[in-house]
Amino acid sequence: MDYEKLLNMAAELGYQLMYSGAEIYRVEESARRLLHAYGLENPEVFAIPNCLIVSVATPEGHPVTRMRRVPAHGTDIELLERCNGLCRRLCVETPPLDEAQAAVDALPEAIPRHSIRLMLLGYGAAPAFFAPLFGGGLRDTACSFFCGLAVGLCLLCGGKFIGANSFFRTAVCSAVAAFLSLTLVEAGLGTSVDIVTISTLMVLVPGVALTNAMREIMAGDTFSALSRTADAILVASAIALGAAAGQALGGLF
Amino acid sequence: METIFFDYALPCLCAFLACVGFTLTFNIHGYGKLIAGVGGALGWLVYLLGGKTIFAAFLAAAAIGVFAEVMSRVRRCPVTGYVLVALLPLVPGGGIYYAMRHGVAGETTLFLSTLLHTFGMAAALAVGAMLASSVFRAIFPRLRPPKK
Repeated sequence: MDYEKLLNMAAELGYQLMYSGAEIYRVEESARRLLHAYGLENPEVFAIPNCLIVSVATPEGHPVTRMRRVPAHGTDIELLERCNGLCRRLCVETPPLDEAQAAVDALPEAIPRHSIRLMLLGYGAAPAFFAPLFGGGLRDTACSFFCGLAVGLCLLCGGKFIGANSFFRTAVCSAVAAFLSLTLVEAGLGTSVDIVTISTLMVLVPGVALTNAMREIMAGDTFSALSRTADAILVASAIALGAAAGQALGGLF
Repeated sequence: METIFFDYALPCLCAFLACVGFTLTFNIHGYGKLIAGVGGALGWLVYLLGGKTIFAAFLAAAAIGVFAEVMSRVRRCPVTGYVLVALLPLVPGGGIYYAMRHGVAGETTLFLSTLLHTFGMAAALAVGAMLASSVFRAIFPRLRPPKK
């Protein structure tokens, strides 16, 4: 068997899993089971939130290692479910390596994605329906919808101008949200600045980082849990900073 | 009847729709949308019934945790997506905002108490969902999905 090919395939699957926002234990376990299914006795897999290392020793005692650096990524549940399904199938069927590699490589292109318009609608709808939860009326709902759309536009299309730094991106989006809601309420469309701003900020809130941190603790990956908790706290401070800046800017006019 | 509708049914419907909105941004397709939405509505219902306290948030997170575990067994899918989206309405965005407002205004006591309340909410959510799914897995080990 060609162990280098096998290693590449397992590393690629682990990389796709990490990129879809899977938990560390899921990435490590999937890659380990996959290598095990292809007949390796003691495959070693190590992952932290932005790095994946897979190392095996061939039956002749020759060590082979592959490392993948995982760039900043979002959450893609469809990709996660498909990777998981593919990993189970490969473990049961263990097809020839070239076929397996082709199946893994075909994954990212085969994922159905929502169109930009539909995603924008999602960014608008979520704050709009949060407004009543926080005690807002119909006019606040309409305001939140527009602010959500603006934040969604910043997140989806503003990447080139804002850059990939997540702290700065969150701060800018939060500032836009606070400024717009202040302006809309001042213009007479909304009734409460607080409700509209909070509803819009819910799109940026670090719920994903918090949930992931919790799941890492549960799985015993303390290092990853700490790094994700730090991420959640940083994002929360970015939201607070941005909102403060946005309101100060809105107060000037 | 009217109080039930305006106090409970309408907010839960809003939580459902908000969660469905979030599924669009997390690229969830098909039945997953519905499950995440129902999870969000269930969590918000428990939170309302519990009286919007930190303990209510804990119970709500526990309810979401169990619901998501059951659904992931039924659909044989990773539990990640459902918990992620369903917990979002409970994440204390308001706490972050009000803490910032008090901080900017220089009201140190209010700032600190709001900040601690926000941390309390976040911790209650994390511990609630974590505990519920760990206990669920301990009680029903045989329901574990087939080996990957």
